[in-house]
Amino acid sequence: MSRSIILIGGPDSGKTNYIGRLWHALDSGAGALRAVEQPNDINFVLEVADHLYQGGFAPRTEHSELRRDFEVLVAAEKNGPQSKVIVPDISGELWRNAVIENEISPEWIDELKQADAALLFVRVGSDQDVRPLDWVTSRNYLEKIGDADDQGLPTQVMLCELIHFLEDSLAKREDGGRPRLSVVVSAWDLVDQNKFTQGPVAYLEREYPLVAGRLSDLDALDVQVFGLSVVGGDLKHDADYRQSFLEQGLDEQGWVTVNEEGTWVKCNDVTLPISWAVGL
Amino acid sequence: MSEPSQLEDEDIGATGSDASDYEDIMSKSLEDLSAPVLSQPERVNALTSSRTIGLEELNTLMGLRYVNVVGILGDPESGKTACLASLYLLVSHAMLDGWTFADSRSLTAFEDIARGARDWNQGLIPEQMTVHTELSDNLRPGFLHLRLRRVSDGHIVDLALPDIPGEWTQALVTSARSDRLEYMKSAEVIWIVVDGRNLADLEKRQGLIVRIGQLAARLNTMFEGRIPRLLIVVTHHDMHAIDSNVSGRLNRELQRRGTNAEIISVAPFSNQPEQVKAGHGLAVLINSTVGKPCVRPTFWQSTDIEENGRSYLSYRRER
Repeated sequence: MSRSIILIGGPDSGKTNYIGRLWHALDSGAGALRAVEQPNDINFVLEVADHLYQGGFAPRTEHSELRRDFEVLVAAEKNGPQSKVIVPDISGELWRNAVIENEISPEWIDELKQADAALLFVRVGSDQDVRPLDWVTSRNYLEKIGDADDQGLPTQVMLCELIHFLEDSLAKREDGGRPRLSVVVSAWDLVDQNKFTQGPVAYLEREYPLVAGRLSDLDALDVQVFGLSVVGGDLKHDADYRQSFLEQGLDEQGWVTVNEEGTWVKCNDVTLPISWAVGL
Repeated sequence: MSEPSQLEDEDIGATGSDASDYEDIMSKSLEDLSAPVLSQPERVNALTSSRTIGLEELNTLMGLRYVNVVGILGDPESGKTACLASLYLLVSHAMLDGWTFADSRSLTAFEDIARGARDWNQGLIPEQMTVHTELSDNLRPGFLHLRLRRVSDGHIVDLALPDIPGEWTQALVTSARSDRLEYMKSAEVIWIVVDGRNLADLEKRQGLIVRIGQLAARLNTMFEGRIPRLLIVVTHHDMHAIDSNVSGRLNRELQRRGTNAEIISVAPFSNQPEQVKAGHGLAVLINSTVGKPCVRPTFWQSTDIEENGRSYLSYRRER
């Protein structure tokens, strides 16, 4: 059985780094989902993982037209049912433009129609994040003064449109269930203890109220929200962490937060968002 | 001497290129020659449109779930657009008291409104309500969809808010032209948006109140006496709070026309954000639009069974 999992999100939302880290986790076989065999083409994932191995993050996927797929046969248990997962890495720019231009190439539509699950990415503290309009800016527009600082379509509006888009196009699961959407709040290691305890859903409600509202009103999709840290810390700004990360290696680093009976707990298995979405 | 030689050079060049073109053509196969002159444009699919909803789409939506259609009337520049823009901003900042966002099928249109990109006065005033939304033309009168969830009881309400030119209200008042406002017959509530500055201005007040009365009378005719609930939305509360004298005169004028209305002061934007926050009064407006949660009587009353009550016999006896 072959299925596509769509990774969706704006520019700089953490999709590519997740694919690199995911491959490492699938390959090591310690998580809820494991790779059954070594995939034929690992050039792309190895390239991304290389950045992580060197103690850095992969740069933003700039070439919007260049398509790179990661294709892997996965299973939850060693001799259990298998599923071929194709994760196309589509640049955030492409999704953003699709919403702004209100059109998308038929190739992607076909891809979406084959998928029965998706991962939606939002990153904490991304400099590509566009905040919603405020009253001052909006008034300037209405009074035809305009605003030079305006960054265009707010991130939360783009994400809502992408969710609409998933609602309309994702296929039903083979078992007849609703398509699944894992919402991944990446760079979750950047939030303070207080916000960590409140969890990523509360974060979405505060930062992206339109997205949080939409997720709570979805009839067509099953949704679960995760907090994610691909390497468990800030490689860019925390030199001490980077040092210890490089010494220890990637295996034990990186985690996902899941809601267990009302509390958000760290779990060292980064395959969880995708393993829930695949639902083997 | 230099000029003729240049000409000569050009001549020779031209002859050379003609010759090479000829060779080019001769070298091509017949298939190549009959190939289309222009390359095929890249095929793209449209995403689900999230611009305003036309009448047809509204009908479909109303068939799927209960939609609270709101009629919005008001002169040009009275603040209708500002109210819609500010409502959208409140929702997108999670600041609409008592309500949270659930969905909107017209987010792009809301974004356009908040950016002043839907301005009727820039061009010709549209003549009719859009029946079917066309992608090519996003500047057409239509409805904005907004689904909100009430925090207190989780009640979900779908609002259809029309974005129409103020000139249509003027035409209704001055020449009884109501055909393009027919959609209001499915409205539960009608907002009459009034510019608070004009209501505060002693010279303009009288004329404005009379016009509101005339509008009420037109609505009475249009709805044959069964007008939906009227809400008078007075804008610019940040600059001018209306006093009881003005509201009293407004109420009397409406009563004279056999109607009544609730008056709600709003400030979609604010010149004095310390005293009156931008978006003031809009939560009250939404509360009044949706109405209070109605207490329904228990459909199937449960009664304790009385042993040896001889209920049947007693029932017959009491008849």
